[in-house]
Amino acid sequence: MSALAESRVSPAARSDLLSWITTTDHKRIGILYLSTSLVYFAVAGALALAIRTQLARPGNTLVTPHTYAQLFTLHGTAMIFLFVAPFALGLANFLIPLQIGAPDMAFPRLNATSYWLFLFGGLVVFSGAATNEGAAAAGWTSYVPLSAIKVSTGLGQDLWIVGVFLVSVATILTAVNFVTTIFIYRAPGMTMWRIPIFTWEMVATSLLIFMAFPSLAADLLLLFVDRRLGGHAFDPAAGGNVVLWQHLFWFFGHPEVYVMILPYFGVISEIVPVFSRKPIFGYTGLVLAAFAIAGLSMGVWAHHMFTTGAVNNPFFSFLSFLIAVPTGVKFFNWIATMWRGSISFETPMLFAIGFLLNFLLGGVTGVMIASPAVDYMAHDSYFVVAHFHYVLGGGSLFAIFAALFFWWPKMFGVKLDETLGKWCFWLLFVGFNVTFLPMHLMGLEGMPRRVFTYPDTGRLAELNAIATFGSYVMLAGVALFVWNVVLSTARGEPVGDDPWGANSLEWATSSPPPEHNFDRIPPIRSERPVYDLRRSGGRAP
Amino acid sequence: MTIGRRLFISSGVFAVAIAVGYWLVAHEITGTFLLGFLAFALSVIAGYMIVAERKADLWGDRGDATMAEAANQVIGTYSIRSPLPFWSALAITSIALGLVISPTLAVLGFLAALGLGAAFIVQSR
Repeated sequence: MSALAESRVSPAARSDLLSWITTTDHKRIGILYLSTSLVYFAVAGALALAIRTQLARPGNTLVTPHTYAQLFTLHGTAMIFLFVAPFALGLANFLIPLQIGAPDMAFPRLNATSYWLFLFGGLVVFSGAATNEGAAAAGWTSYVPLSAIKVSTGLGQDLWIVGVFLVSVATILTAVNFVTTIFIYRAPGMTMWRIPIFTWEMVATSLLIFMAFPSLAADLLLLFVDRRLGGHAFDPAAGGNVVLWQHLFWFFGHPEVYVMILPYFGVISEIVPVFSRKPIFGYTGLVLAAFAIAGLSMGVWAHHMFTTGAVNNPFFSFLSFLIAVPTGVKFFNWIATMWRGSISFETPMLFAIGFLLNFLLGGVTGVMIASPAVDYMAHDSYFVVAHFHYVLGGGSLFAIFAALFFWWPKMFGVKLDETLGKWCFWLLFVGFNVTFLPMHLMGLEGMPRRVFTYPDTGRLAELNAIATFGSYVMLAGVALFVWNVVLSTARGEPVGDDPWGANSLEWATSSPPPEHNFDRIPPIRSERPVYDLRRSGGRAP
Repeated sequence: MTIGRRLFISSGVFAVAIAVGYWLVAHEITGTFLLGFLAFALSVIAGYMIVAERKADLWGDRGDATMAEAANQVIGTYSIRSPLPFWSALAITSIALGLVISPTLAVLGFLAALGLGAAFIVQSR
């Protein structure tokens, strides 16, 4: 049966608080996900500023070591579990049914339940800060024995465990919804080889979630049993094994990196062709590369464990190097798409180019530390901090801003201000590189990660001061974005259905779309149905 | 063969290959078990899709299908609004939170979850 069978005649959309709490509309749930994850981003960003301020000069005593440990634990947890990954889920919630011509998700109530579990899970994680001994302080990786009851005695660690568990359950349920919707609910003519690249990337991401997140849930349950019910899974004195935590955690944790990047590869694949005025180069190659990355990412978890001596380093090193190949394919496809295109530099495209530059550097340093010889030197140093911030901050964060500027008109019917948007981009781009480029050098000078202070040796003081300055430049960029949202919402000039001259199906409906998504769907005869429609002058091609 | 089937079968084959490959190279039990379990789980899904997948006739799989052809198909009932998801999530959170701070809260959450589950079933009929 088809997804597009009939338009639902729905009552006029309500906008009171109760209607948002009870909504099962995928677009509203998407916007709830996006706004909630942005609030978590603001909190995580504030924690990052506190970290950078503490590290602005050697020997600073702004916070205590224990408070510092809580800061970086909550910062990492919020950025990874509550912002970068859930933002992609929110974007996919909003876009997938629109991109494939479906009226909603396959399981709308399950979709809403997932969102609320995500929201409550995040609140449970942060609620640890209100307990006597403070929030969890064992880092976002929560390694045992740091997270064991003998070291982390407070309730904060337990709340972290159950909060992250709730978020992981929500994520798995959402992935089930995505895959079912994409496989079953496509509109007539929307074959799998015509769905937009973003939707393809969400298929790959969902499969990764199926494979990786149960491992995290199992790991968390074991730790909870150890802490609260006297288990010994991670207690070597009773026959347990601390390295088991790392195995189970990274079996989830490395694929999670791709859960946080594949959707944004999809975002870039949607934006680059629109502002290059060309079809995407190598559609099939991009899809196959996404699945190659997803598959290989399941076999590289132990490159986080090279220094434990408990894994076969050459095997994991080899597979880690291999991931560079499909990633390189994607890069070449994006560049080939821009090649000889009629490129225009609107804000989404600027952020997309920023993504390419930053992610490239993050990818190159990733290849470097995939070599055990280099990893032994850089492990647990600021070099690794710089590497993963270039991937997730310079990569995913820039794609997130690209997505916000690109799809804002579709979500709210108004465009964000272009001039402010460009200022926002430059502040974030310069601020980001000023913050994180010096961290490579800090790491090479021997500064370990997660230390609350450092000696005044070498260039560490200057490098840290520069990084802290950069973080405040980034703050200015984010503040400008908030101002842009306020200003653009206040002006509220409608922009029409397709302000960018885009390609995929979501641009065929009104902005914002009606509750039932489409009053009329154009014929789908390629992966660019809206382009086809425009080219035929609005007539069926 | 549908793309969904191909995806799960190829993923299962890949997982079996790296699980066997890792054991032959490393003889390391924990990693091999993880990869083996992954291969097993994917094989179960792939097997299910080979044996039991319905002969789905999806309009979305027909490249030349038109909107008119697919008109008037009933694809199920959508509830545009429902309070159940919010309360269900709250009940599940209560169970989880109760395990940490108060068994009473966990029991209350469990009872609420049972009631909400029943409400879901009734609403779905």
